[in-house]
Amino acid sequence: MDSRAQSLPIIKNKLAMKEENYILFDQYIQNEMTVDQKVIFENQLLEDQELAAAFISFKETISLLENKLSFDEERSAFRESLHTIGSEHYKTKKPKVVNLKPLFFLAVASVVLLLGLFVFNPSSDPNFKDFNQFEEAHFVERGTSTENLKQAEQAYNTKNYKKAISLFESILKEKQTAEFQYFYAISLLEINKTSKSEAVFQKLKSGNSIYKNKAIYGLALAKLKQKEYQSCKEILLTIPKDYENYDAVEKLLKAID
Amino acid sequence: MINSVIHIDQVYIEGLASNNSAVIQSIYKKFVPKIVSYIKNNSGDEDQAKDVIQEILILLFNQAKANKLQLTCPFDAYFFLLCKRKWLNELKKTSNQGVTITDDFVSNYKPTEEMVAQTEVFEEKQELFDLMFKKLGDKCQEVLKLSFTLKSMEEVAEKLQVTYGYARKKKSLCAGQLTQWIQEHSRFQSLKIN
Repeated sequence: MDSRAQSLPIIKNKLAMKEENYILFDQYIQNEMTVDQKVIFENQLLEDQELAAAFISFKETISLLENKLSFDEERSAFRESLHTIGSEHYKTKKPKVVNLKPLFFLAVASVVLLLGLFVFNPSSDPNFKDFNQFEEAHFVERGTSTENLKQAEQAYNTKNYKKAISLFESILKEKQTAEFQYFYAISLLEINKTSKSEAVFQKLKSGNSIYKNKAIYGLALAKLKQKEYQSCKEILLTIPKDYENYDAVEKLLKAID
Repeated sequence: MINSVIHIDQVYIEGLASNNSAVIQSIYKKFVPKIVSYIKNNSGDEDQAKDVIQEILILLFNQAKANKLQLTCPFDAYFFLLCKRKWLNELKKTSNQGVTITDDFVSNYKPTEEMVAQTEVFEEKQELFDLMFKKLGDKCQEVLKLSFTLKSMEEVAEKLQVTYGYARKKKSLCAGQLTQWIQEHSRFQSLKIN
């Protein structure tokens, strides 16, 4: 204790000493000490077990604080991913159980497809309408404007894009999440507000949400809609192979070639 | 805590920490159905299963972000056991009536149990920390929040319209106060043994 008192002359009572210690600990952790101060401090830690224990606890608090506060944004992004991936997962699981006659539907679908091929004899160029099967929106209320969310979801899912757009715009004013931006961008694309739609997709593309790849695909479809096949292809080629809907990417690439 | 060999399934942990959607999707695909059916078979429904799974995944994210999660056992067994224990705790908390539990899955694998214990201690510590953090005054909470989100203490001081010295000192003292409360809390004493 004597050596401590020498280096910390202002210690008057226990509380003051504790406070002095916290300041010292933090200075050490933040690397704000001079070389000499550091040596003195480290020696004190070696000599004084109580001080060393207090230092370890303080350090742990700092790392808990870091964990709690510095990753706040990342944590919300993670929660958002869980929400989206989770709801997709639980949603796709159900129909498998209740699907009555998948083979029958498959047969009908292929007949329809074949008929389509014969009747319409598609030109060699792919069409936006063949590739714009976007997923449905399923928002879970997470904010204040639950009513708006429900309406937007419904408008979007029933292809009432104009209404969906104005609802998304007011929702996005309150909360800018990747999910809302994504469905907003699709709605814009569907009603030919292509450049605005591309701007939103671009924003998602440069972000790090789970909509990143979906947004790149959206950008490709925007090019497709404008019949810019070469740029569509170039964009498609930047989508990583582990993208969940890579099947669609491959199909479209094939169609362009 | 110092462990021998890191399991190859550590990729799942890294994937969660980096919010990698392909990894999260594969966790849902490969491991989640088993947990859902376990909970459904043990007095729970799908929504309750979803909540348990989400809570555990966030816990793993937090532990991984704190660099305190190094998997030494298969992810499958570890994740399952964590969810299962969380669910059993929920049942204990909410129901006094007897519940039937089919305990066909018991992990006899030591590393898995150790990993699960580590994660549960982390969770307890974090809960205690959150509780104590909320006890801090508004000023303290604000200084700490800014100190750990802004780039420098100069910025913190500017934002709070105080001097650099004051902001610096306040931050240290608030962190110290928090440390002291955590140490003094009875729950902490039991965590220390682990």
